[in-house]
Amino acid sequence: MSGIETVKVIVDAEKQAAKMIDDAMSEATAIRKRIDSLIQQQRQQMLEDAKKQAAAISARAGEEGKLEADKYEAEAVQTLRKLVDQASSKKNAAVEKLSNIIMRVE
Amino acid sequence: MIMSETDKFTEDILGTAREKAQSIIREAEAQTQHASDEAKATISRETEGIVRGARADADAVKRREVSEARHRVKLREQHEKDKIVQDVLDRVKKRMSELVADEAKYVPLLTHLIERGLEELGDTSALIHLNKVDLKRIPSLEQAVSKRVEHVKVEWSKEPIDTTGGTVISSLDGKIRIVNTLDQRFEALESKLLIEARASLFGE
Repeated sequence: MSGIETVKVIVDAEKQAAKMIDDAMSEATAIRKRIDSLIQQQRQQMLEDAKKQAAAISARAGEEGKLEADKYEAEAVQTLRKLVDQASSKKNAAVEKLSNIIMRVE
Repeated sequence: MIMSETDKFTEDILGTAREKAQSIIREAEAQTQHASDEAKATISRETEGIVRGARADADAVKRREVSEARHRVKLREQHEKDKIVQDVLDRVKKRMSELVADEAKYVPLLTHLIERGLEELGDTSALIHLNKVDLKRIPSLEQAVSKRVEHVKVEWSKEPIDTTGGTVISSLDGKIRIVNTLDQRFEALESKLLIEARASLFGE
């Protein structure tokens, strides 16, 4: 191999090496871009899922709260009925007592 | 086959470049992996915040529903109690109007009200006012009152007053009036009656 040929071979190798590195850098840039895009997609998906979950929780809360309130109200109404019945049975005695207060002149 | 010096040299150049290229890609992959992990953690925190917020809102919604139910029940309870108390007070008023027809019970009370009115007026003369029905009772009242209050010159007004029962005692010039009617007693005692009624009916 002549000197010129040797230099040519070395220059070609260096060009090939430079291309390898350029290609690797391009590939690295592509990898970074892909991951950015992937992260954005994942973020969108996870946010959508979270929003759906939040909406379901809110919807359920309204129903659960109403059920709990209805249960409380039903029990309270029963208690109130008892209270009204008890008080009604004491009306005559109360009328007697209050009438006596008015009639008591000291 | 024996490699020439040139071949070795070019192979070194290419080998070094290959390693460098692999290193660049490994570094990019490592960086992206790190960025991905960080992003996932950030997104997780973000989504957890959304769900946590929704749970807090949900708890608030539930509490509000129950609280509104409590409020409704409280109002209803208050309404029912007020109805019962009002019924009792109405019946007391009715009892008062029935009482004035019961001579045996009412006349002693009326006599007592007149006597107390005269004492309260503290004058040597007084004018006694009664309702239309009680005006007819003046003869029997005169006797009873004169027995108890000897030091006061009593005059009986012929003009009836508008009241369920009881009396209004006034000075002869009308400047001082002692109101001892049953209606006035009811009104004056109303707050006490309400307290007593609630205590008797509901143990409050």
